[in-house]
Amino acid sequence: MTGLTSFYREKEAYLLGIGFIVFLLALWQCVPLLITLPRGYALFFTTPSRIAATFYRLLVEGQIQEHFYVSVAAFLSGLGIAIAVGLPFGIVMGRSRTLDALSDPYVTALNATPRLVWLPLFILWFGIGIWSKVMIVFVGAVFPLLINTYAGVKNVDRVLVNVVRSFGANEWQVMKVVVLPNSLPYIIVGLRLAIGRAILGVVVGEFFGSSKGLGFMIASAASNYKVDVVFAGVAIFMGLSLILTLSVKKLENSLARWRPEAAKNF
Amino acid sequence: MVPCIQARDISLTFKPKNRDPVTALKELTLDVAKGEFVSLVGPSGCGKSTFLNVLLGLLKPDGGEIRLNGKQITGPGQERAMVFQEFGLLPWRTVLANVELGLELKGVQASVRRERAMELIKMAGLAGFASHYPHELSGGMKQRVGLARALVTDPEVLLMDEPFAALDAQTRDLMQLELLQIWDRTKKTVVFVTHSIEEAAYLSDRVIVISARPGRAKDVMKIALPRPRDYEMRLSAEFNDIKARIWASLKEELVTK
Amino acid sequence: MGLKEKYHEYHRPILGMASVIGLILLWELTLTYLIPVDPFFFTKPSLIGTAFREQLFGERLWRDLAISSRAFIWGFSLSVIVGIPLGAVMGWRRRVEYTLDPLLTALYASPLVALAPLLIIFFGVGLLGKAVLVFLLAVFPFIFNTSAGVKSADPLLINVVRSFGGKELDLYLKVILPGTFPYIVAGTRLAIGRGLVGIIVGEFYAASEGIGFAIQNYGDTYRLPDMFVGIIVLSAIAVALTELLRKAELMVAPWRAGEEIR
Ligand SMILES: Nc1ncnc2c1ncn2[C@@H]1O[C@H](COP(=O)(O)OP(=O)(O)OP(=O)(O)O)[C@@H](O)[C@H]1O
Ligand SMILES: [Mg+2]
Repeated sequence: MTGLTSFYREKEAYLLGIGFIVFLLALWQCVPLLITLPRGYALFFTTPSRIAATFYRLLVEGQIQEHFYVSVAAFLSGLGIAIAVGLPFGIVMGRSRTLDALSDPYVTALNATPRLVWLPLFILWFGIGIWSKVMIVFVGAVFPLLINTYAGVKNVDRVLVNVVRSFGANEWQVMKVVVLPNSLPYIIVGLRLAIGRAILGVVVGEFFGSSKGLGFMIASAASNYKVDVVFAGVAIFMGLSLILTLSVKKLENSLARWRPEAAKNF
Repeated sequence: MVPCIQARDISLTFKPKNRDPVTALKELTLDVAKGEFVSLVGPSGCGKSTFLNVLLGLLKPDGGEIRLNGKQITGPGQERAMVFQEFGLLPWRTVLANVELGLELKGVQASVRRERAMELIKMAGLAGFASHYPHELSGGMKQRVGLARALVTDPEVLLMDEPFAALDAQTRDLMQLELLQIWDRTKKTVVFVTHSIEEAAYLSDRVIVISARPGRAKDVMKIALPRPRDYEMRLSAEFNDIKARIWASLKEELVTK
Repeated sequence: MGLKEKYHEYHRPILGMASVIGLILLWELTLTYLIPVDPFFFTKPSLIGTAFREQLFGERLWRDLAISSRAFIWGFSLSVIVGIPLGAVMGWRRRVEYTLDPLLTALYASPLVALAPLLIIFFGVGLLGKAVLVFLLAVFPFIFNTSAGVKSADPLLINVVRSFGGKELDLYLKVILPGTFPYIVAGTRLAIGRGLVGIIVGEFYAASEGIGFAIQNYGDTYRLPDMFVGIIVLSAIAVALTELLRKAELMVAPWRAGEEIR
């Protein structure tokens, strides 16, 4: 008995958290047993077990894989371009006051407005297909990367720069030894935010500008009232987001080894 | 006396954007001999750190001339190294990697610099802490790392900007003693900035009082205490006399501004 | 002399303005003289200006804005009403936090807009569907920031108030609320960004009115200048709201200004 209570004490956080999720799923599963839904609503209703069954069927039929690859391709290319553009620009903006001032209005305006407003324009320019998606993923993901890199570069300690200079370091060495390591935690926070934005871009881009991909699968299933397919698609996106976000979080924590108060993020 | 550092009429004015210019140094002249231990004392903001940065080659004076062993100082060089007040350790590097910094920037081979750095870490009493990160060290240990890092390239001149100001009194006494031992062994030229009259008198061959801003060398006092010095000397009447003389000179600068 | 100092003081806004004006001129001149291009795919500032004037005196822009705002305000208010109390309880009671945190964290990290098609089918293309979407996206920053704010209450301060015989209510009013407020303001800024995403996706999806619909509709009908007007108006509103909250953040918690990462 005491063994059980002490086990509970130790794992209380997990037990309560996981327990609650299991409880909700079970409740959801039992809804049709508890109440009879009016006919109109029954059409929209599904249960976890049905979603799981549908998921399995789609997996066996290979439908999920097909859409998944399309989505992942757009995600990776858009995020890759965002990294390739955001990091160098963030560094340059952090180092040059003039370029910072010149680009500030655009960065502020573009960052404050949901980047999704550009989707109609991209569809018009690039047509329905991968490129309009890649572009919307890119504009979504680039700003968190750029802004966080910029913050990391800006916030470099003057004393440390002087220390390194006093040993005769040139600009490039100052960059390598002080500026980049100092920015790394910020860049990783930026990467985590960028991943979220990139997935958002994939989802919405595929709702409107695609004829393939998981987002397309969700949208077309919804218009055919295949609610369990919708949920199966949503579950994949959720899983993907969680896995990626948690991995980056791990990376953030490993940097906390030299930084007792890890970079905060809001 | 063989001159090591010769500063002639050094002037420097900061011209920050959107603010009034500040003249930090005006016609400052002083000499430091080879192997000498010189302390600079003066009111806060009088330009002591500025002068050290000029010596280090990070700042260029607007006027005057500054020479090291007869050669004009034009930028940082490996004959000089600084110990910083706020330690200035790179937080993402271990003790070893921090100490190695100077050699790394010079392009010294990894195995060689590692060996040399370990030697200094041991000398600084940090054996066993080589793979610690700065935030895992106490203040005294951090400053030992700072000292080891400055010594790693075996500079001829050691510049120290209030190196012990952030330490508690006992650690400070200990570090002073260790610094004197190192100085005695290595015969380096030391320029030491401090706000503590006691510390200046205890460590130095000469104490130079810098006037309130703009800084000039106002008074030079020879400290005739015998070497090696020990803690007991600080209790002698002679030592108190020296302190009183420095204080008298410094006091005028504090009240007039 | 004086001019030069003025320049130093205002160099950021001056350069910023110069770069915007320069870009507009470059854009206009390039499309007018260098490469006159297909007006269905490109447009230029002068055409956007004309469209802007027309829309400003027209009816549709204002009607669209009113419709979008209504849905936004409903969803946003709901997320305040639900999010702040929920966050407060989570911050204050450890067990509640244990219970809810994994679920809410997972939902916060997921692209909940993926549910948009379902919500729209379920709640309709009108006010309700959009408001629910806004709520679903905007509620999380309120929950998490309020909870973080409550948890940040200094135990020392709590003990001080208790030691002076303060009651539970004093604790809430004098220690926890003031400490939490800056966090809520910061959360509001995040929530606005997410809420706008909700409005836009909702209106792209199936609406027949609203600013998001207008942008998409102008795009579908190749009316680029009008589409840009919609984007510019939306950006102006978003920037105004965000900057307002940024100012508010500085006002309620100047000490946090330095540590901000957007
Ligand atoms: N980078 C800078 N830009 C503008 N003014 C500066 C700069 N660095 C120093 N100053 C000014 O120059 C003067 C001298 O500064 P310095 O740091 O050399 O003083 P200090 O003697 O070391 O003072 P303390 O004993 O407090 O360390 C001060 O008035 C300071 O405000
Ligand atoms: Mg100083």
